[in-house]
Amino acid sequence: MPMGHTATAQAGSGGLTATEHRLANGLRVVLSEDHLTPVAAVCLWYDVGSRHEVKGRTGLAHLFEHLMFQGSAQVKGNGHFELVQGAGGSLNGTTSFERTNYFETMPAHELELALWLEADRMGSLLTALDDESMENQRDVVKNERRQRYDNVPYGTAFEKLTALAYPEGHPYHHTPIGSMADLDAATLEDARAFFRTYYAPNNAVLSVVGDIDPEQTLAWVEKYFGSIPGHDGKPVPRDGSLPETIGEQLREVVEEEVPARALMAAYRLPHDGTRACDAADLALTVLGGGESSRLYNRLVRRDRTAVAAGFGLLRLAGAPSLGWLDVKTSGDVEVPVIETAIDEELARFAEEGPTAEEMERAQAQLEREWLDRLGTVAGRADELCRYAVLFGDPQLALTAVQRVLEITAQEVQEVAKARLRPDNRAVLVYEPTAPEAPADQDENEEAAR
Amino acid sequence: MTELATMDFHPRPQSGDAKPWAFPAPERGTLDNGLTVLRCHRPGQQVVAVEVLLDAPLDAEPAGLDGVATIMARAFSEGTDKHSAEEFAAELERAGATLDAHADHPGVRLSLEVPASRLAKGLNLIADALRAPAFADSEVERLVTNRLDEIPHELANPSRRAAKELSKELFPPDARMSRPRQGTEETVAAIDSAAVRGFYEKHVRPATATAVVVGDLTGIDLDALLGDTLGAWTGSSAEPRPVPPVTADDTGRVVIVDRPGAVQTQLLIGRVGPDRHDRVWPAQVLGTYCLGGTLTSRLDRVLREEKGYTYGVRAFGQVLRSAPDGTGAAMLAISGSVDTPNTGPALEDLWTVLRTLAAGGLTDAERDVAVQNLVGVAPLKYETAAAVASTLADQVEQHLPDDYQATLYRQLAATGTVEATAAAVSAFPVDRLVTVLVGDAAQIKAPVEALGIGEVTVVAAE
Repeated sequence: MPMGHTATAQAGSGGLTATEHRLANGLRVVLSEDHLTPVAAVCLWYDVGSRHEVKGRTGLAHLFEHLMFQGSAQVKGNGHFELVQGAGGSLNGTTSFERTNYFETMPAHELELALWLEADRMGSLLTALDDESMENQRDVVKNERRQRYDNVPYGTAFEKLTALAYPEGHPYHHTPIGSMADLDAATLEDARAFFRTYYAPNNAVLSVVGDIDPEQTLAWVEKYFGSIPGHDGKPVPRDGSLPETIGEQLREVVEEEVPARALMAAYRLPHDGTRACDAADLALTVLGGGESSRLYNRLVRRDRTAVAAGFGLLRLAGAPSLGWLDVKTSGDVEVPVIETAIDEELARFAEEGPTAEEMERAQAQLEREWLDRLGTVAGRADELCRYAVLFGDPQLALTAVQRVLEITAQEVQEVAKARLRPDNRAVLVYEPTAPEAPADQDENEEAAR
Repeated sequence: MTELATMDFHPRPQSGDAKPWAFPAPERGTLDNGLTVLRCHRPGQQVVAVEVLLDAPLDAEPAGLDGVATIMARAFSEGTDKHSAEEFAAELERAGATLDAHADHPGVRLSLEVPASRLAKGLNLIADALRAPAFADSEVERLVTNRLDEIPHELANPSRRAAKELSKELFPPDARMSRPRQGTEETVAAIDSAAVRGFYEKHVRPATATAVVVGDLTGIDLDALLGDTLGAWTGSSAEPRPVPPVTADDTGRVVIVDRPGAVQTQLLIGRVGPDRHDRVWPAQVLGTYCLGGTLTSRLDRVLREEKGYTYGVRAFGQVLRSAPDGTGAAMLAISGSVDTPNTGPALEDLWTVLRTLAAGGLTDAERDVAVQNLVGVAPLKYETAAAVASTLADQVEQHLPDDYQATLYRQLAATGTVEATAAAVSAFPVDRLVTVLVGDAAQIKAPVEALGIGEVTVVAAE
């Protein structure tokens, strides 16, 4: 258990520190002390997400995440939830393209319980996993899909954009929620195989942050996780590399019962972990990151053609990141009017670059977002895991904000010029249809698309 | 078919010694202009939260102008005597700040979050907004159009649509609470800058406002900062306004808002009950949590974890308006969504859960776990400055003492199983619940009628 970095604050880390350790079975551990509040966050990232899923089994990583809360050798049924909540803790798990995370925030004196619980399911989930859990959670996840995507206006927009922006067969072509058909097709044996393949200590990073005694914490980690065998059965993930730009404008028009016309688009952007990705983040912030952004000023304030307009960034490490534009039109405004205005603004930005004041504003916004994320023990634990899993170095979490502040206006202009172009985007247009007549309709038109 | 694990097992660990934690006590004071200030130093919280409460409740909106409080709240960040609307937004973002403003039944609330290093700048901007808002014709016009554009989006959202219908059902038509908080197409269209300014002049002044400032205040001379910013805001004194009591009709019934083709039914089942000035509140919080506070509460144990009908159903109590004289009320409700074909069976199970609770009561184990969670999570829940500021602001808005939250934790810990059961049962009586279902009437009406939970009517979604 060699100690990694010492607990000395690096420049630009805001005084936060973290130490790194590795158990003999390959589990990487990151610890960060903070005694301001008597709480401790436990976060466990498994290096598996929807990008690891195979054709016909989309949604399996997320369905599996639900099964992780259905009991293990020493934890019956919903015991994981009951024990954490009964100890005054909060908990959850989430699944994305690139990872699955599980986290508990505990009163500091209940930290050991959270470690025991995480170790129990990492080492013994399959002793408890059965058909009943599988069938129940399959239904729960299908209802999650209906609630969050299928039953809300524009709910499947992100799924459609992703499918356009990443080609058929690409590991990021589908989103973590998966398709109804694939959720129906998943078997208990699929779940077991998934666990055996991906849920191993050497495919995970554990972080513990907050009011902790590092030596004691490390001893507990060794005690509970140390005997779980590692294994090397994980296949190399499918290649997510793509050309830097799409090379053409892709387009899909959706006619659906939505309240207003919408124009959405996905731009292919640099990978997370690069300076160019931070530059793209700043470019999107200047263009569409708030109520002083160029697109908001143009479309919402001046032209008054949109009710909302903004850009978001989905940072990805294993494939090009995605810049997501979302504009909802005002009144009867037609989409081409909006599109022309956006193209004018993007072209002007590529030509001029950001002003000094725009850079200052965008950097101040991103800095506050980072302070928010690092302001809770749970947020810090998650970021430490993120940098450890995706980039091999948790310390990068503590200096991330510094890197954003070092980006120059020229870098922002360069990335905008190279990437925020019509031939590097997938466009999704919504045209509202009249409400359906109250007759029997196909309930799931998404699946037929 | 199970397999053997290959790890060493250890018995479940025991808890360590709990470290003391208490909900922070704010320091209360008054500025020369009459503004009440609550401040609270939270070491390490580099993003400072500032909440400003204005005594401008929705029932003070003039007849036919529902939504004027909302437009006023939004117009605060659309220009002042120093900055145009675009400049104001730019200045806020330059300070790394966010400013949200929101009008609700008790009043208007502005929430500023800003890094401690730029607190002076943030306070300057919020003070300018309150002291000298521009309310320019063209900006108000834009906010009105924008608000009109938002309404169809809200009506298309199942949970928002359900909330609108429940308010309409519960409260008498002449009560402000029966109508949408942010106005309807008709009332919003009637709002102009004169209406906004009129509302501002009548209801916004420092003497009836409170500011809450929470965060790491190390090295910050807050008195000087406040004096230069919010302290420069002037206004007349005002008498407290009388507020009408909240009344509601909770005769058991069902309203289906028809959305043909919907793959799920949104449920919102509610009534009106005691608020935080009632002694039953701690027991009601506890009982409501046992019923539907989390995934392992009674409702989800059946509806989600046994039957898989839903991603999750929650029971909650949310204060609508609170007053020391007992005329306030809270919305007590159960919400969630279930797949369309299982709407009838899910509601049947839900009612069975309520009947079982009334017949057999809660167990001591359920009560214990609920107390341990509700009280135990406090240090986690209040880690950020924003969370502390928000609760302190709620207390002020609800006319509660500054130590209310701290006292509530002690009361929760002292509440027994019998009291929690009684409070939950009287909060959710099976024959006094108004059920709103947003879903496909053609598929769900007959099964719901068969349950006998009240008369079923169907209304159009638009």
